[in-house]
Amino acid sequence: MGLKVTNVQKSFTGKKAVDSISFEINNPGVFGLLGTNGAGKTTTIRMILGIIKKDAGEIKWNGKEVIRKHVNFGYLPEERGIYPKTKIYDQLMYFAELKGMDKEKANNSLKYWAKRLEVEEYINVPAEKLSKGNQQKIQFITAIINDPELIVLDEPFSGLDPVNTELLKSVILELIDKGKYIIMSSHQMSSIEEFCTDVLILNKGKTVLKGNLKEIKQSYKANKVEISSTVNIDSIISSLNLRVISNKDNDYTIQIQEEIEATNLLEKLVQENIKINKFEIKKPTLNDIFIEKVGK
Amino acid sequence: MKDLMIVARYTFKDMVKRKSFIISTLIILIIIVIGFNIPNIMEKLNGNNENTNDKILLVDNQNIFEGTLQRINELHLPYEFEISNDNISFEDVKQKIENEEINSSIIITKTENEIHLEYIVESLVMVEEVPQDLVSAINNIYSSLQITKLNLTQEELSSLTPNFSFELKQTEEKEVSGNVFAIMLLSLVLFYAIYFCAYQVSSSITTEKTSKIMETLVTSTSPRTIVLGKTLGIGVGGLLQVAIMVAVALVSAKTFLPEGTLEAIIDVSKITPTLAIITTIYFLLGYTVYALLYALTGSTVSKPEDINSANGPIAIIAVIGFYLAYFTMMNPTSNLNVFASIFPISSPFCMPFRVMMGVATIQEIIISILILLITILLVAKISIKIYSSAILNYGTKLNIKDILNIYQDKNN
Repeated sequence: MGLKVTNVQKSFTGKKAVDSISFEINNPGVFGLLGTNGAGKTTTIRMILGIIKKDAGEIKWNGKEVIRKHVNFGYLPEERGIYPKTKIYDQLMYFAELKGMDKEKANNSLKYWAKRLEVEEYINVPAEKLSKGNQQKIQFITAIINDPELIVLDEPFSGLDPVNTELLKSVILELIDKGKYIIMSSHQMSSIEEFCTDVLILNKGKTVLKGNLKEIKQSYKANKVEISSTVNIDSIISSLNLRVISNKDNDYTIQIQEEIEATNLLEKLVQENIKINKFEIKKPTLNDIFIEKVGK
Repeated sequence: MKDLMIVARYTFKDMVKRKSFIISTLIILIIIVIGFNIPNIMEKLNGNNENTNDKILLVDNQNIFEGTLQRINELHLPYEFEISNDNISFEDVKQKIENEEINSSIIITKTENEIHLEYIVESLVMVEEVPQDLVSAINNIYSSLQITKLNLTQEELSSLTPNFSFELKQTEEKEVSGNVFAIMLLSLVLFYAIYFCAYQVSSSITTEKTSKIMETLVTSTSPRTIVLGKTLGIGVGGLLQVAIMVAVALVSAKTFLPEGTLEAIIDVSKITPTLAIITTIYFLLGYTVYALLYALTGSTVSKPEDINSANGPIAIIAVIGFYLAYFTMMNPTSNLNVFASIFPISSPFCMPFRVMMGVATIQEIIISILILLITILLVAKISIKIYSSAILNYGTKLNIKDILNIYQDKNN
């Protein structure tokens, strides 16, 4: 069971927006579709959901076309849309019914998610009276109200404050626990790194990296050491010909080429009897990998 | 089908709950009720003077009428008369008018060759001549007096004043089977419904695109369901608005106009069931054609400010269709009228009238309805196609070339 995208292409006025993208999502969890602005993430999502037609390639869910008849899906578009004059309850019920839910189930689901996302008090209010963050939460409910097995979230955290970002993250974790297949697109690596099992990084419509995130990160050698010291250790670092990336109040980030350089540094610090509160050898983050791959 | 009804129901509810819809409907209803009350309001305003009838002083100091002038009171004219045989001068009349004892006066004098009527009013503004009903009443009374003096028999009297009866006949064998005014009124109602109600289909579709909800919507149901559901929802909403207005107009006419006026204008008894069915079919099909045309224009624009310019051509088509039907009605047997009754943009306005006049053949009606149905299917298909391709066309208005490209592009 899962989604299979094979050699999908799309051009707009002769310019390739998506160039032969292929990937598979075979297990529940979050698949990260990453890329810079204009990399082709949203176009890929729109092709998966049949909003726009692909020029070539194949997109299948369990061997069948991705349509509502074959797969119950939910979608949070990047272009947030809401009926401004209509009461939240009415528009959520409308979309739930369009997605095939009966009134009772739709009503129960609506009340559950409204409570879970802390917007219960607004359900009888026209959408235009809500803050942008709350409107976004309503759109999120629209995407998941029908208990979909495939959920596509395009930039789900953009525009949310830290409190609501955490709330949304907890809901996504709940959906992962429920065994949902989630495609999450973003250009903010840090916010989705914690969820993704697999990633695909796009640059100008082309795949630059794809695979299991853990395996990808493991394939990268450690490249940084973070040290929190009680005293200035600039002289020790320079004696070992290492480069300081940053230093703030003796909290150092130091670049290394090999892990042995970190070991040598630790030995030297011990020899010098320097009190250290933190010493951590770090592998590249998804953000580091992303920047390396898209050349920025 | 279930989704279609969900979209239609939601659209309908959303439309009729809107303040703009409620307020505009209420304003129009108030205007209708006031309109039918204008005669009563005028009467009420005049009614402040207790009796609305003007008081006229008739002066016959030469006794030309030999006392028979009193009979003028039996003729139920809308005046109150005071008859005097005294010698009353212009100055006396002026004084009486100033004292508001009378509104006007007629001083009758006889010379050798004629009877002279001097009509004196306060001001000649708005008064151009002696009221004809007064002149003929005075004339009749004088003639009657003179005839009486001839001592004629009853038969001779009857032959002098015969009762005329009138009957209308036509040489054409086909009979008019309806009420011309009622059918013309219905054409006007249809035009109003298209011009002021059906256009809301386009604004509804464009508003959705403006709110960027389209992506959520098209992933929830098919574009076909959205276009047809919205057209149905707004269409029914518009028809409801028109139906309420017509109902209020009829009730107002019945309540506020003098008894029998409404029946005289719209004689429903003359409308046969066939004509009623055909008229209803054309009304609904005509409304559907135009509503779908508006769905098409709504799909091509993505900014509310572009709606009017996009709807312009449809409004012009509606006006052409209406006037083509209206002007050829004068000559229902002309080729142009036959064309207007078959051409889909004018047939809803024209064919009911031809059927009523008895000049439409069954073949013409069948062909005309078939063309309308084909037009509906064609416009619906094009609208859905354009809609499917144009929904993500945020920010720009599609021109005719774009539309043709979309329609020809098999990949879209």
